[in-house]
Amino acid sequence: MEKYNRVEGWLWLVLGSGICIGAIRLNLGSLHYPGPGFIPFLTGAFLGVFGLILGFSKISNGFEEEITRKKIWAKGSGKNILLPLLALFGYVLLLDLLGFLITTFLFLLLLFKLTEPKRRFIPLALAGSTAVLSYFLFCVWLQCQFPKGAFKFF
Amino acid sequence: MTGFLEHILLGCQVALSASNLLYCFAGVFIGTLIGVLPGIGPSGTISLLLPITFGISPVSAIIMLAGIYYGSQYGGSTTSILVRIPGEASSVVTCIDGYQMALQGRAGPALGIAAFGSFIAGTIGVVILMFLGQPLSEVAIKFGPPEYFSLMILALTIVTYLAHGSMIKAIIMATLGVFLSQIGIDVVSGHTRFTFEIMELENGVGLIPVVMGLFGIAEVLSNLGESLNRGIFKEKIKGLLPTLKDWADSAGAIIRGTFLGFFLGILPGGGAIVSSFASYAVEKKFSKHPERFGKGAIEGVAGPEAANNAASSGAFIPLFTLGIPANAVMALLLGALMIHGLQPGPLLISQRPDIFWGTIMSMYLGNILLLVLNLPLIGLWVRLLKVPYRILFPLILFFCIIGAYSINNSKFDVVVMFIFGIIGYIFRKFEYEPAPLVMAYILGPMLENSLRQSLMISRGNFSIFFTRPISLSCLAIALFLLVIVIFLRKQRKFIAKIG
Repeated sequence: MEKYNRVEGWLWLVLGSGICIGAIRLNLGSLHYPGPGFIPFLTGAFLGVFGLILGFSKISNGFEEEITRKKIWAKGSGKNILLPLLALFGYVLLLDLLGFLITTFLFLLLLFKLTEPKRRFIPLALAGSTAVLSYFLFCVWLQCQFPKGAFKFF
Repeated sequence: MTGFLEHILLGCQVALSASNLLYCFAGVFIGTLIGVLPGIGPSGTISLLLPITFGISPVSAIIMLAGIYYGSQYGGSTTSILVRIPGEASSVVTCIDGYQMALQGRAGPALGIAAFGSFIAGTIGVVILMFLGQPLSEVAIKFGPPEYFSLMILALTIVTYLAHGSMIKAIIMATLGVFLSQIGIDVVSGHTRFTFEIMELENGVGLIPVVMGLFGIAEVLSNLGESLNRGIFKEKIKGLLPTLKDWADSAGAIIRGTFLGFFLGILPGGGAIVSSFASYAVEKKFSKHPERFGKGAIEGVAGPEAANNAASSGAFIPLFTLGIPANAVMALLLGALMIHGLQPGPLLISQRPDIFWGTIMSMYLGNILLLVLNLPLIGLWVRLLKVPYRILFPLILFFCIIGAYSINNSKFDVVVMFIFGIIGYIFRKFEYEPAPLVMAYILGPMLENSLRQSLMISRGNFSIFFTRPISLSCLAIALFLLVIVIFLRKQRKFIAKIG
């Protein structure tokens, strides 16, 4: 875990330094009249200092609980996580083009199909019914303004 | 006294209106539902439903969202007792004796005492809230910017102090939360900060997409990374009403749990989780038969369940009196009030008594509704546990998209949610808790304003924070907590090394 802490420490240090530089450009002001960059500078400095403590100092041991750590990335978990994320990303990309109803149906069908790969009817029925129900709930009843898509279909 | 009675009548009038009764019922029903279902918590649900509340009155919105919070504390015990999977983090400790009772064929009394204990604690908690709320808000009016600043520093310190694992990581999360809250236009100078010329960022990073990403999406991704095999309780549950002996064994635990939970709930970061563990420890310590704990002691269910419900009432005290949230869920409620154009704080109770007293009275009703929902409908909740997660997670993801999109009808918010979902997942993997980030994100603008105002008042002299008694006390406690955490953890390590 020490290796991870070191990498994390570096990352926080870099991020903190970036925030400090951005804050200085914004104008720090004075103690009498703090400018827009004053608090961001303090947060950047804090991030950097605590990043240093986390990654490079033994002081951090004083703050750490002794806990048994699990393996960070479990075997096979990547696929389980990546596909839903891609589906979510695809939903954002296709929403304007295909509209709410079709995109929702495809999104849900993909996710249900991923979990029930051997069945055909159940994912179709679940995705179809949820898409139609949500259309009536959100678009018709609650009047949410979702894109209708290029087909102007619902 | 007349004023007090008038306020109670006003609260009854608000809470008993048909629409608010419906919202209260919806809140506690949804709360119980998500309490029963592992994998989705009150933070995720409240952020999910927040956009839906835009079209309703602020008081109805708060009644429903509060109902979700305390309802989830009730529901969380069901899965802990029946399948040893806590529906909520605050019900983790209920697994220990509750599940043992279920194995011994006493699932009914365990569920019964959890529901009755929750009801008693919830009701007493609301009574204390009713009596303490107004006097505390009158004290809070005397707070100036330095007191507010120091109090918020103390709140953030306690949140990081109570974080699991590394306190350094919790401090980093809180700092990051403050930074995120700075993005957008600075209200004092009018300058845009860290927007990178993205127009949508000028109003800041949206609270709802951030919370949905960190809690909703990240929670789903974490669950997908692990297998969620649930053992379903197959035996028929009978005898939900506890016997006289059960009552005799539990009465003290319920009362102790109620008061302990309520006062721990007031502390920032205290909340339901800490109070349930504290109550279990107290019951075990003071029991004449501590050896029974872990083997099906009913006090081990009654105390923690009472404590987590009382804590959910106590958490409303700092929100309503100071405008400072005690935990992440309260931070979301604070956000909800602000979205509805209200400024929680000492003046809220006097300026909008309908909000404060209406919410309190609805909590009485909500507790009664929860008792009705939890006992006779136990069969329904058990059946719900059979819904596989592979069916639930696409729906949760879909509702997250709807929730994020419908705030501003903007895909940008969905993208923000997506990004924070990935960030939240990585944070969980590397043991960074999202709660300090959300708390700091909401407190950030208040923290900045009070610091800047204090420095303007004192002409740049930081001694203003150390010369005012309340401010000095808050900072001294914060420093004490930081010092003690190092001392205690070093001592624990030393004991582990030698023993």
